[in-house]
Amino acid sequence: MTRDYSITYAPLVEDEDLVFKALADPTRRLLLDRLFERDGMTLGELEAEVPQLTRFGVMRHLGVLEQAGLVVTRKQGRHKHHYLNPVPIRLIYERWIDKYRARQAAALLDLKGQLEGRQ
Amino acid sequence: MTTMTEPGTVTQVYQLYIKASQEEVWKAITDPVTVARFFFGQVREASYEVGSSIRSWSPDRSQMWGDNVILECDPPRRLVHTWRSLYDRDMAAEPESRVSWEIEAQPGGFAKLTLIHDRLEASPKTAASVRGWSYILSNLKTVIETGQALPPLM
Repeated sequence: MTRDYSITYAPLVEDEDLVFKALADPTRRLLLDRLFERDGMTLGELEAEVPQLTRFGVMRHLGVLEQAGLVVTRKQGRHKHHYLNPVPIRLIYERWIDKYRARQAAALLDLKGQLEGRQ
Repeated sequence: MTTMTEPGTVTQVYQLYIKASQEEVWKAITDPVTVARFFFGQVREASYEVGSSIRSWSPDRSQMWGDNVILECDPPRRLVHTWRSLYDRDMAAEPESRVSWEIEAQPGGFAKLTLIHDRLEASPKTAASVRGWSYILSNLKTVIETGQALPPLM
């Protein structure tokens, strides 16, 4: 649990472990699904979306999602709103998928060069 | 009681950490050369003063992409401007929305960038389209941290 404390003052930047750990739980994926459908819900609204969980349970799961950067909270008046932040998933996608896409593009350019007689 | 005017449904929030100082991130999002590298090669013209224009064009300048107004400018922390997607006729017909860039210094030589796109209540097509901010912002991170842009979207 000491790991959790360190996050509050020095976010574990780019820690993909946190993203995968957060996504490894079906309840947390459900919370993300609900935010995808309706972004910016308050804790109370999210609680109503997953009646099988206690308020504490929802808070705990939201905490894990927030530490992983998958949920960002914003205060608006008296309410705290929760937003789905897709950027960490985008970064994971790019780490593997885009790298291959770039390689593929380079290979196609090589092929084009060869076909056009610049061997 | 779910209505389209609930604040949460019409606000999008994107956040990421970039290994750079607050000033470096500010420079990257305002310097036309860097903006072109991470933002679809756009030509950007802006003087970054409240009330002045922030305009963008396609790389060959044949099409205007944006003609917006700076609402707030507090270097190197905060930049707020209006948004209308001029590159698409349907989206251009929707009401103006708002984009806020917030840059915070973090321990360990990192900056936290938060982009909020809101006032999208009456602009559903724009709201769906600007989900592409994820790509733009991770491209920005790559450009700042490695000096290289990501391969273009297919």
